[in-house]
Amino acid sequence: MKIPEILSKIPRQIIYLIMALAIIIPLIVPIGMPINVKPQTKKLVDAIESLPEDAKPVLVSCDFDPQSMPELYPMLEALLNHLFAKNIKVLVMALWPQGAGMADMALSTIPRTYNKEYGKDYVFLGYKAGAAAVVLGIGDKLKNVFPADYYNTPLDSLPLTANLTNYNDISLVVSLSAGDPGYRTWLFYGQSKFGFKLGTGVTAVSAADTYPYLGSGQLVGVFAGMMGAAEYETALQKTGYKLTNRTATKAMDAQSLGHFFIMVFIIIGNIGFLLLRRSK
Amino acid sequence: MKKQIPLYICMLMGVVMIVQFFIGHPVSIQANEHINRWVIVVSAFAIILGIGSLIDHHTDRIKRKNEGWPFSIITLLGLAFMTIIGLFGGIKSGTLFMTVYSNVILPLGASMFAILAFYMASAAYRAFRAKTTEATLLLIAAFVVMLGMVPFGYFISPKLSEFAEWLLKVPNMAAKRGIMFGVALGGVSTALKIILGIERSWLGGK
Amino acid sequence: MQITFLLFMVETNQAGSVQIFNTARLNVLIALIIYAILLLWFIYHARKGKELFIRKISGLDAVEEAVGRATEMGKPILYVPGLATIDVISTIASMNILSQVAKKTAEYNTTLLVPNRDPVVYTVAREVVKEAYTDAGRPDAFNADNIYFLTQDQFGYTSAVCGTMVRDKPATNLFVGYFWAESLVLAETGAATGAIQIAGTDSIFQLPFFIVACDYTLIGEELYAASAYLSREPLLLGSLKGQDWGKMVILGVLLLSSLLALLGWQKVVSLFNIG
Repeated sequence: MKIPEILSKIPRQIIYLIMALAIIIPLIVPIGMPINVKPQTKKLVDAIESLPEDAKPVLVSCDFDPQSMPELYPMLEALLNHLFAKNIKVLVMALWPQGAGMADMALSTIPRTYNKEYGKDYVFLGYKAGAAAVVLGIGDKLKNVFPADYYNTPLDSLPLTANLTNYNDISLVVSLSAGDPGYRTWLFYGQSKFGFKLGTGVTAVSAADTYPYLGSGQLVGVFAGMMGAAEYETALQKTGYKLTNRTATKAMDAQSLGHFFIMVFIIIGNIGFLLLRRSK
Repeated sequence: MKKQIPLYICMLMGVVMIVQFFIGHPVSIQANEHINRWVIVVSAFAIILGIGSLIDHHTDRIKRKNEGWPFSIITLLGLAFMTIIGLFGGIKSGTLFMTVYSNVILPLGASMFAILAFYMASAAYRAFRAKTTEATLLLIAAFVVMLGMVPFGYFISPKLSEFAEWLLKVPNMAAKRGIMFGVALGGVSTALKIILGIERSWLGGK
Repeated sequence: MQITFLLFMVETNQAGSVQIFNTARLNVLIALIIYAILLLWFIYHARKGKELFIRKISGLDAVEEAVGRATEMGKPILYVPGLATIDVISTIASMNILSQVAKKTAEYNTTLLVPNRDPVVYTVAREVVKEAYTDAGRPDAFNADNIYFLTQDQFGYTSAVCGTMVRDKPATNLFVGYFWAESLVLAETGAATGAIQIAGTDSIFQLPFFIVACDYTLIGEELYAASAYLSREPLLLGSLKGQDWGKMVILGVLLLSSLLALLGWQKVVSLFNIG
């Protein structure tokens, strides 16, 4: 087989092998590529950073499932680390059933690192079906939507939520959103009606859809994909916060190398194609 | 009669649901919720037919010893096993059902999802060839966006990252919105055709 | 008459406010009426026998060629009707196209495989194919076993369809309907088996994957035009024309609104709010 033919017809197996190595090796031996924090990420980081220690609780909504975990779970981890390190009270809920599982996983480890007490420093509300109805309902009265927490403890008996009524008692809502229901639900049925501050973390493919809302000020900031999660981790590290895990930053090395080799293959394929065309 | 009754039901329910959208009265909203619940009930009954089809399909494959027929036995055994442990053990967190689901189904789904990374590489290698002007533009755009989305793209040039974002925010968004308009109109048109009985292929036949 | 009018426009003050007609959705009603008038106008003209020009859609022209290819090779055709439920409009559009494809496979005596993710879609698909075979005069050729339900799990379904592609090696793959992340997995597996692939979806996020991995792609509303295009029925073609003119009306409204907003009349934006 001639070289142009070899270049334009590389077997799939070779491509898959090289991609596998390009992804696995950086996960074992991190490269440590420096990460630049984009403006949309910085805006949300600053919005959280500007909250005083005695600020009203922040509501975190885990609107994603295990499939979007690689992109959104690192955001959740970094967010909880950030909020707990600043001693800000946290309410966690989910509009997706699997989101409650994701939240439960994070809350089983991270609060312990900061010696946070359940019921006083954070409360896990769990999943509630209804999406728009839930968002609207919280605006009326949180306890109508969540009379008890995830563990069936009445909210009236928990110090954090005893006197909490609606969005007026919440300083910021952050929706980690993989689709619908997600940030759009919070935006259309919550932020536009009740006027609270809303930030979001989304998968990379949906990031561009958030920019019009960012531009209009309806969103205070956006974490876009795994890159956004890595930027958040970097921003926190630069500010002096210690994170339990920098999953996204480590994974960005793998993603970068993966992208790099895809581009290399595209270039090789085009060289082979052009050489073949010329020889004909 | 066999085709006319469903057509009339479709027309009636279509008109009712359109009218319901514009009526803000609580009765209308409750009726909408009630109908949505009925949709869920009907879907639940349909699963019985689906499971019947699944069992039929795989039993047939085993009888005829088609290629991969041992996997059909595993499929049927898996179906029976999960049904039994779900019915008798429950499906809450901590049960055998959820343990199997969390440790087998979810990782398998995640693995299939992970295959995308490899398929993207092979698809990009195969498809991004500068055969025509449009293909070349696609190739350049893909390059720029891929570079812009990773850290080293910024360090090649900060402008690259900004240009990649601009590509996503402006021309990509414009094209997406154009398609969305078309899709929305196409959807309304198809719905109206079905409600008015102009489009009958979904019913089978002319 | 007066009572009807009163009932229609009742809107009491603050506490206990009850709206019979949701006036915040009046703009939607007006748009719907205008669009319906356009559709019916063109359908009426199509009924009168007026010749209507429809541009060439390569993906749909390729369906005939793809069915012929499968017949020559003696291999089946795989039709994936998307992963969404029957209440999603693209699934209904997919059923319309399935009917046309099934008629062709009945005529050519080619095997048609239709794996389904949703049980309701499975029952509809089975009836659609059965009726298509009956209409083509080949009820004997219909094999109910070829239209089957797999699983409701997204990637379980995807793996099963990929397995079918690798084992049965269909000559033609048709991916028509609503897809999520599995679109590229399906399309690449199909490409690896050497099948000719035609995709059609209105999922904006998955279109790029299909465009890259398939031979032909129906983009967005081309999926809804397919039924009219393949059957060439005057009524359906007329509705297609109405659809296109509807888009022109929207374009005009958008341009006018943008101009008015630029000139300072910001209130025009609120005309598009839906309550």
